[in-house]
Amino acid sequence: MAEEVLRMQGITKIYPNGFMANKDVTFGIGANEIHALVGENGAGKTTLMKILFGMEDCQQGSIFINGKEERIANPLDAIAKGVGMVHQHFMLLPSLSVAENVTLGVEPMKNGLFDYEAAVKNTQEIADKYNFKVDATAKVSTLSVGQMQKVEILKALIKGAKILILDEPTAVLTPQETEELFEQLFNLRDSGVSVIFISHKLEEVMRICSKVTVLRHGECMGTYDTKDLDETKISRLMVGRDVVLKIEKEDPKPKEAILEIRNLKRFNSFGKAVIDGVTFTVHSGEVVGIAGVEGNGQSELSEVLAGLSDFASGDVILNGKSIKGLSVRQIRDKGMAYIAEDRMVEGVAGDMSIEMNIMADRFSKKNYKKNGMFVDARKIRKETQQLIKDFEISCDGPEQPVRMLSGGNIQKVVVAREFTSGANFILANQPTRGIDVGTAEMIRKTIVRKSREEGTCTVLISADLNEVLECSDRLLVMRKGKVVAAFPKANEVSEDTLGEYMLGIREMTPEQMEGLL
Amino acid sequence: MKKTQQIEAIMEVVRIVAGLAIAYLVALLILVAISKDPVFIVRQFILGPFSSPRRIGSIINLAVPFMLCGLSMCFMYAVNKFNLIGESIFMLAGCIITWVGLAIGNSLPMAVMVPLLLVIGAIVGAVLAFIPAIMDRKLNANVVVVSLMLNAVIAQLALYLLRYFMRDPGISFIGSYETPASMQLPMIFGKMRVGSGVIIALIFVVIVSILFYKTSFGWKMRIVGSNPKFATAVGLSTLGISFAAQLAGGALAGVAGATEIMNSYKRFQWTASTGHGFDGLLVAVLAKRNPILVPIGALFLAYVRIGADVVNTSGDIPNEFISVIQGIIILLVAAESFLSGFKNRLIYKSVQAEKESAKGSK
Repeated sequence: MAEEVLRMQGITKIYPNGFMANKDVTFGIGANEIHALVGENGAGKTTLMKILFGMEDCQQGSIFINGKEERIANPLDAIAKGVGMVHQHFMLLPSLSVAENVTLGVEPMKNGLFDYEAAVKNTQEIADKYNFKVDATAKVSTLSVGQMQKVEILKALIKGAKILILDEPTAVLTPQETEELFEQLFNLRDSGVSVIFISHKLEEVMRICSKVTVLRHGECMGTYDTKDLDETKISRLMVGRDVVLKIEKEDPKPKEAILEIRNLKRFNSFGKAVIDGVTFTVHSGEVVGIAGVEGNGQSELSEVLAGLSDFASGDVILNGKSIKGLSVRQIRDKGMAYIAEDRMVEGVAGDMSIEMNIMADRFSKKNYKKNGMFVDARKIRKETQQLIKDFEISCDGPEQPVRMLSGGNIQKVVVAREFTSGANFILANQPTRGIDVGTAEMIRKTIVRKSREEGTCTVLISADLNEVLECSDRLLVMRKGKVVAAFPKANEVSEDTLGEYMLGIREMTPEQMEGLL
Repeated sequence: MKKTQQIEAIMEVVRIVAGLAIAYLVALLILVAISKDPVFIVRQFILGPFSSPRRIGSIINLAVPFMLCGLSMCFMYAVNKFNLIGESIFMLAGCIITWVGLAIGNSLPMAVMVPLLLVIGAIVGAVLAFIPAIMDRKLNANVVVVSLMLNAVIAQLALYLLRYFMRDPGISFIGSYETPASMQLPMIFGKMRVGSGVIIALIFVVIVSILFYKTSFGWKMRIVGSNPKFATAVGLSTLGISFAAQLAGGALAGVAGATEIMNSYKRFQWTASTGHGFDGLLVAVLAKRNPILVPIGALFLAYVRIGADVVNTSGDIPNEFISVIQGIIILLVAAESFLSGFKNRLIYKSVQAEKESAKGSK
């Protein structure tokens, strides 16, 4: 076995809300190793890495780097000790060049001033050393997501990182960019950097990692050689039961059109078209998936459909009526339900009780009121308790503030509201982002079941390719505000083909998409 | 996790008590330096307000406008709009109801007069609160700035009305004619000389609490205040609700001004803004925007103020110093993160104990 470069021994972390994120976790990695850290969301992976990177402190446990016990007080300290971290959300200054971003904090100086030339030289050197293809003089704002990620990795490397933490690095990448990243990770490994690879995507873990450590509910389930495992075994370790990675569903029987989008256009404040002539129809009983690299108009489309934003031209017809100029309330009354992209922003009010959050869309309706202005507390309590039970929300009771729950349970509060609002059109934007596998599975199955049994029409926007491919019946691809591809059967599309359309390598003509919109 | 909620509640009380203790200790330390008899002063400060029934009555009387203004600010605070117009509403509402009361004279019985003047006060408040609210909504003018600027204008307006339309030339100071007896609220509780305005204040505490926690409007308002984007996404009319809450808050500030004149004065004689609007904000902060806790916050603030008065009249230290002590007390009581490290450790221990016992029982 390779020499151990890092050991985290008996780590216990309890958050101020009483949530025990890590319980006596022990975790070690060797030199020249790509080591996967997997677990459901809320299993404590990110917390463990934040402790290693000095962003959180722990109540118990110790950290050994190269056999020496270290106390890591803050991220600067972690960097000094050779630990680098690439976060899920990039921390870059978009208006500065690659070289300036990379050398931030270790700026080369000449005569007391920043030496831009030297910065470019240093950056280019380290990029070449690890075979990263980036232009050190380019502005970060002009880079693609994949390139920005390289800049993030370079930032860690230039400071001498020997242990590199990557928190779900492939979540934002296209399949092609992912391949490139893997090549670079192999290069890094061979030149002596140990990589900790946090991921949900088990096939990636199987491909690139030599070892895998599994966390479940904050506890370490052990470290294994990947060659001894397969995906099913890992997922069993993660959730303690077999997760059906495939969703069994019968063929859709689309009936009448419920949602019709006609040549929809929306412009941003700079006059650029963010939705550029989108047309498609969704019928009762079918799930239409929308894939695409993030930032290609999906969020904007979702805002329009949810009534949160106006549009410039074209029309959206819901259940036979245009939604132009209608308030969110009116659109919801016409049959729309909305699972928001970011649950803490649009999905819940964190300080409010579970009850108020579940009932937020309906408590002001007539049948939840008494004597005109008072809320019918008894009826509301009864229904909330029923929904908590139906959706298996683990909590202390209906009055507990939502912020005290785990991510998956917060999302259950959101879907308990949106799935039971009586809507026949469900707009699900990233419905399972960042939540545990069990809850994600429940949400996906419910989406499919509602379409088959109740005939709801669903628009599913997701960056998780596995999710759109598994859940959707028809699949559309959005790029630069346009629908650039349409497939009649989502589960027959390969991720590679999808990636080519998402990246704009291929594009369908309107004739090819005829009948599929 | 039930335990966690319990610890949060208990620590809330511990935090306030510890805050008070530290504040008085700090006061004592400073007093040692500047007073000949520091222990006496601190004792006067703490116990003085309870030394006679009259003083206890004063606390209650002082708490009446604090309660009503605190309720007013609860509305603004609930929807996260720091509309501070309550400060001048309090003054102008007092001015207008005096004017109306003088015009009506003794022709109406008290049972009609008092509610009528309260309604007029409320209308004045709602109309004035409308100005910053509409400017915030339509012109995107910051509600804090607009309301603070307007406060100066409205205070001068009240002064103008007093000087040119209501002033009694027969008295040595600037003040209106004496108000009719039908709008002077009677005293209750004998020796304590408590004005019956406290009943009005308590009635409003009950009404506002019911409004906040039992009505559909109250629920909407709290959701809008907690997360406006979420409120919009679930179909609540965020702008309309926050607008309505500001008008309701303004109306209550008007009621506060009207009640104060009827409860504690025989003439309208305020020649400058009284500070009650800002005290209301303080009370709302102390009460954590919960109307049920407003009487406690108001009584506490009144107690500290009366304590300051007592020391001022019986001790050897300047009034300004009393303000410093008041400030320290309020600061420590309002500082939410005070002792949070201790609280977190308690939560940590209880969770661990829970896990241990769970393991044991297996």
